[in-house]
Amino acid sequence: MTSPVVSPTAVTQASLIPAKAGIGLRFQHHQSVIDIQPDVAWMEVHTENYMGGGTALRYLDAIRRDVPISLHGVGLSLGSAEGLDPAHLERIRQVAERIEPGLVSEHIAWSVVGGVHLADLLPLPMTEEALDVVCRHVDQVQLYLNRPILVENPSTYLTFRHSTIPEWEFMAAVAARTGCGILCDVNNIYVSTQNHDWDASAYLAGLPPPAIREIHLAGHAVRQLAGGRTLRIDDHASSVAPEVWALYQEALARFGPVPTLIEWDNNVPPLETLLKEAQHAQALIAAADNKGIAHADAA
Amino acid sequence: MPTLLELQRNMRAALVERDVGPIGESLIDGIGSERLDIYRNTILSGLTKALRLAFPAVERLVGSEFFESAADAFIAEHPPRAAYLNRYGDEFPDFLSRFPPAASLSYLADVASLEWAVNCALHAPDETPLELSQLAALSPDEQCRVSFRAHPSVGLARSDFPVDGIWRAVLSGDDGAMAALDLTAGPVFLLVERGEAGLEVTRMKKSAWEFVGALCRGEPLLSATNATLGLDAANLLAEQLACGRFVAFALNTHEAPASPEAA
Repeated sequence: MTSPVVSPTAVTQASLIPAKAGIGLRFQHHQSVIDIQPDVAWMEVHTENYMGGGTALRYLDAIRRDVPISLHGVGLSLGSAEGLDPAHLERIRQVAERIEPGLVSEHIAWSVVGGVHLADLLPLPMTEEALDVVCRHVDQVQLYLNRPILVENPSTYLTFRHSTIPEWEFMAAVAARTGCGILCDVNNIYVSTQNHDWDASAYLAGLPPPAIREIHLAGHAVRQLAGGRTLRIDDHASSVAPEVWALYQEALARFGPVPTLIEWDNNVPPLETLLKEAQHAQALIAAADNKGIAHADAA
Repeated sequence: MPTLLELQRNMRAALVERDVGPIGESLIDGIGSERLDIYRNTILSGLTKALRLAFPAVERLVGSEFFESAADAFIAEHPPRAAYLNRYGDEFPDFLSRFPPAASLSYLADVASLEWAVNCALHAPDETPLELSQLAALSPDEQCRVSFRAHPSVGLARSDFPVDGIWRAVLSGDDGAMAALDLTAGPVFLLVERGEAGLEVTRMKKSAWEFVGALCRGEPLLSATNATLGLDAANLLAEQLACGRFVAFALNTHEAPASPEAA
């Protein structure tokens, strides 16, 4: 899928993210990564952690010479009715200019209202109005950064009465209207479909395979609510759950080999643990590829 | 049916002001405030973590329970205005100075001010320092009118207490050093920067600190020199440049370059 207004020409060949398993790079592992030079195909960082300057950026400057980097933003608030913060967009542009990432991604969520940043990825109502707002902002970001971005499906704990569009259709519509790619977070799909009694397979089937440019995998927590209900919480604080690995295999069967990231942001384990999770993902990618499944062009 | 903006305002009321009425009308049946609490807790713990990272010595001085309650009150009063959370907390030192439960720890707010300058220095953009040789071509008249832009990592702090010593002792867990500090020894004048060797907090003489402060605010060299009697301005300036504390100069005295972030 190509966009009418932006092309990926700004992305150099060397920085392209391969259709292999990668890991989220966290501060705790900066030095280990430099020392060990782990055999991992690519890494992803939170854009907000590398704004400004200083030690963290110096590490990333060094690491990116050997490993393709993807920038994953958590603060742009694509779904804010009030519009994007131009200063934040400029900070993202500066990080992208310095790091030359293979991919740049953001979330289908919102954080800002009344000029206040509610530091979480808050759920959007799935309405035509919200779809228009998100598409307008994705267009704005892609023009400003002069490259296509990816948008990630959310994990949610609430749904709204006046939502009219299934979330997977909302994701597909954003990609179709703006030319952006989709970052398919399989853990988020599992968490949300469990929390809202949706069908995870139907969700995957509703996403357009050519738009899937990246997959996220992470751990989640299970919490008991009053009334005997359980709620799954996307806390990125543990290993990937067996049910999520299973859903990931289903996603690979649909989408073919896609760059896949192991995210682990809280209770961060030793680097070796992350690498083991990535190896498991890599084995599943290879198995899916060997089955000769027709797949989309993930570049 | 609320507009998106109305819904987002209602969500903020529920998450920040704990008024769940308006948003409750938009939520699917059977969904209680427990689910809103998940978002509320994520926001609170994320912002508290940002403050912890910026103010580690304050947390050690007051203990984590006290720190969390101060953070709760601060976040309610000063929620972040931007998603760049490395720069969240600039009002925390002032907040602590007015926070009644902290009143007995007289130096706490000053330690927080120092930590804020340290935090800013750690995350400041990288810029190439100005070389002394770049000023060599200036005429004597131009040298009087020259003004500077400080390196974005440079910050200044002053305190009636030895906050640099407190900060070091607390972060290194050195109770002996802490006990040996003379809290009545008089004010300290500090310069914080991120240099080639990493973060540094340097104690300065009052006159030199005032001179550097005037230059950091963009005052022309002549007025900064005149304001500080008995100072070897030429040597002091050369020393600042050698330390990489300035990144640009300008000659237009009517349009002084922008001052750095206040420490």
